[in-house]
Amino acid sequence: MANKRNATLVVVLIIVAVAAILVWRPTVLINGIQAAGLYASIAIPMGLILGIVHIVNLAHGEFMMVAAYVTYMLCIATGIDPFLAMLPVALVTAVFGFVVYKLTIKQALKSPELNQLILTFGIGISLTQVANLIFTSQTRKISFDYVSASVDIGDLSFGVFKFVYIVIAVLMVVGLRLFLTRTTTGKAALAVGQNPRGAAIVGIDVDKTYGFVFALASALLGMMGAVFITTSSIFPAVGSPFTMKSFCLIAMAGIGNIPGILGASILLGVSENFLKAFRATRGWADIVFFVLIITVILGRSIKGKKA
Amino acid sequence: MKKALAIVAIVALAVPVFAQSGGTIKIGGTWPLGDITGKQGSMAAQQAVDEINAAGGILGRQLELIVVDDELKADKGAAAVEKLVTVDKVDVLMGGMASGVALGQIPAMKKYGKIVLATGAASYKVEEALGSDANWYFHLHPWDYNQGASYAQGWDEIQQKYSAVKIKKIFLAYEEGAFGKASWDATKTLFGAGGRYVVDGASFKSAALGGGDYGSMLEVAKEFKPDLFLWAGYDADALPMLEQAKAMRFTPKIYLGAPPGWPVGFGTSKLSENVMLYGMWAPSINEVSATSKKFYDGFVKKYKTEPATYFAPLSYSAVYIYADAVKLAGTTETQAVIKALEATKYASPLGQTISFTASNIIKHQGIKNQKILQWQNGRMEVIWPFESMTAKPVYPFPKWK
Repeated sequence: MANKRNATLVVVLIIVAVAAILVWRPTVLINGIQAAGLYASIAIPMGLILGIVHIVNLAHGEFMMVAAYVTYMLCIATGIDPFLAMLPVALVTAVFGFVVYKLTIKQALKSPELNQLILTFGIGISLTQVANLIFTSQTRKISFDYVSASVDIGDLSFGVFKFVYIVIAVLMVVGLRLFLTRTTTGKAALAVGQNPRGAAIVGIDVDKTYGFVFALASALLGMMGAVFITTSSIFPAVGSPFTMKSFCLIAMAGIGNIPGILGASILLGVSENFLKAFRATRGWADIVFFVLIITVILGRSIKGKKA
Repeated sequence: MKKALAIVAIVALAVPVFAQSGGTIKIGGTWPLGDITGKQGSMAAQQAVDEINAAGGILGRQLELIVVDDELKADKGAAAVEKLVTVDKVDVLMGGMASGVALGQIPAMKKYGKIVLATGAASYKVEEALGSDANWYFHLHPWDYNQGASYAQGWDEIQQKYSAVKIKKIFLAYEEGAFGKASWDATKTLFGAGGRYVVDGASFKSAALGGGDYGSMLEVAKEFKPDLFLWAGYDADALPMLEQAKAMRFTPKIYLGAPPGWPVGFGTSKLSENVMLYGMWAPSINEVSATSKKFYDGFVKKYKTEPATYFAPLSYSAVYIYADAVKLAGTTETQAVIKALEATKYASPLGQTISFTASNIIKHQGIKNQKILQWQNGRMEVIWPFESMTAKPVYPFPKWK
């Protein structure tokens, strides 16, 4: 009963806060949700790998960078729109992810976690350097008219295209939930994630499941990389900052909690933009990120101790 | 007999090698090769070396360029100087881009006192670290305060020449790092002092460092209603910021960018039209400078790509300036070459003649002026200084359609 009352209180507080922000400065919410969509849709594939394969892929951002370059080349060569390129790019990155898994990560699954981290970190650096050799450090960007689509409400004009990221993030959450709970492969993946040894005893091919999950996450990241080039410039190091951000969002949400990643992203995106609304706190956006992570993780630890 | 033949053969093979290594004039270059500016800087220097060698070399000797990657790291840059001077025994040092790397190299440079032709390092801190005694240091790139002063002069002259251009309110959007903050400090000092201009600004996190959301910054800028909107960030910010400005219907009278380089094919985007920029060189200068055309054509022919930033023509200039000085001095002896360098008058591909005069601290400062350019029909056109002008400015920046 007390829990229910607390939950209601939290919901009411959130509604009041959102209403207050909307009245005071609606762009805080608009920009915050748009940023949250981007963070979440990049972090969710990493959350899938971490939740099931139990590997922190420090080359996560670089995988997206590869997808972004593949999309860029495809769009330049054929003139197609990145949204049409999503499927072929997803196929390419799925194969790429599967090959990387088979050749490297699979070999390190039973190694100490530090070795796994060093391995994926090395893969990330290698990918960045190869991209630098092929494309140089000069940035690339294709302009699309629809990216500047906007809405005018009174004196307020704001871009609406970036809401596509929150749509993608929601689709990923719903799609993965359906996949993991309604399909045989998904249920097997969930079982492997919870208890690989037990899953193997009941006849689930753990290695095959890991390979499949890695390929699926890479495909999702590939689709995201395709859309990413519509709003962002690409260069060899473009993915790196998203690796740490994704990992921290997963830590905030709790490993295996995919909808939680979306929630953590919204909290982060809105908080960042709230601070940016004040001149004195404009540069604190990165600090709020770490403050939130420390608070959430500490809170969870204290709660765990009490329990 | 066989023994004698073998000895003769060995000597015959060895003599040209010795003659070549002893006979070449060695240029030691340090650039960050992982970055396009450094990579193309070293490529342009090699182009100049090849051109001079093809024309017979200097004093009957060939030039040899030895390049070490400084990896944009101060320690690597310092090690590169040590290696070039002590192992390769170069006659001159040149290159460089980042001020942080130059600061790391200065102790080694001071130790050996080799002639340095610096193509980068804009920070006044580098000049302070050099001190007034570094007569072996020839700085080609303008110092940060030179750049700021030249922009102020440029806007004054543009407003005098074109009566329609009126600037009162200036807004600077600056990236959160050291580069952006230095730009903000310089802008406040240069334009804000004396109340002639009203200056405001806001920071943003550059896309190059994981940012790329300019909404809140543009909101502040839009409320300020600036006559001149200037952003100091990186090439990764150029198009996304324009896209967001368009979405927010933000149209200042002058939209000006000051990144170190521009994205591949920026000029082909419709959004680039009439964006202004600060810089030192553009291919359009080929129309007003024969040296620029020679450099550009040679670079494209040799490397099958366009020079992307002004560091390429600047590095090309460094080699020619040194070669001309050695020719004038008739020797590679340091003091004689320094004297010859002081007499430099090199019509550079940058569209201006380079000579060395004193700056705030050092005695040998090369270029002091930057240029104001504008993207027009996919090309960077020089609109100031007027002696290098390739097109008239389009003013005001058109409203978004």
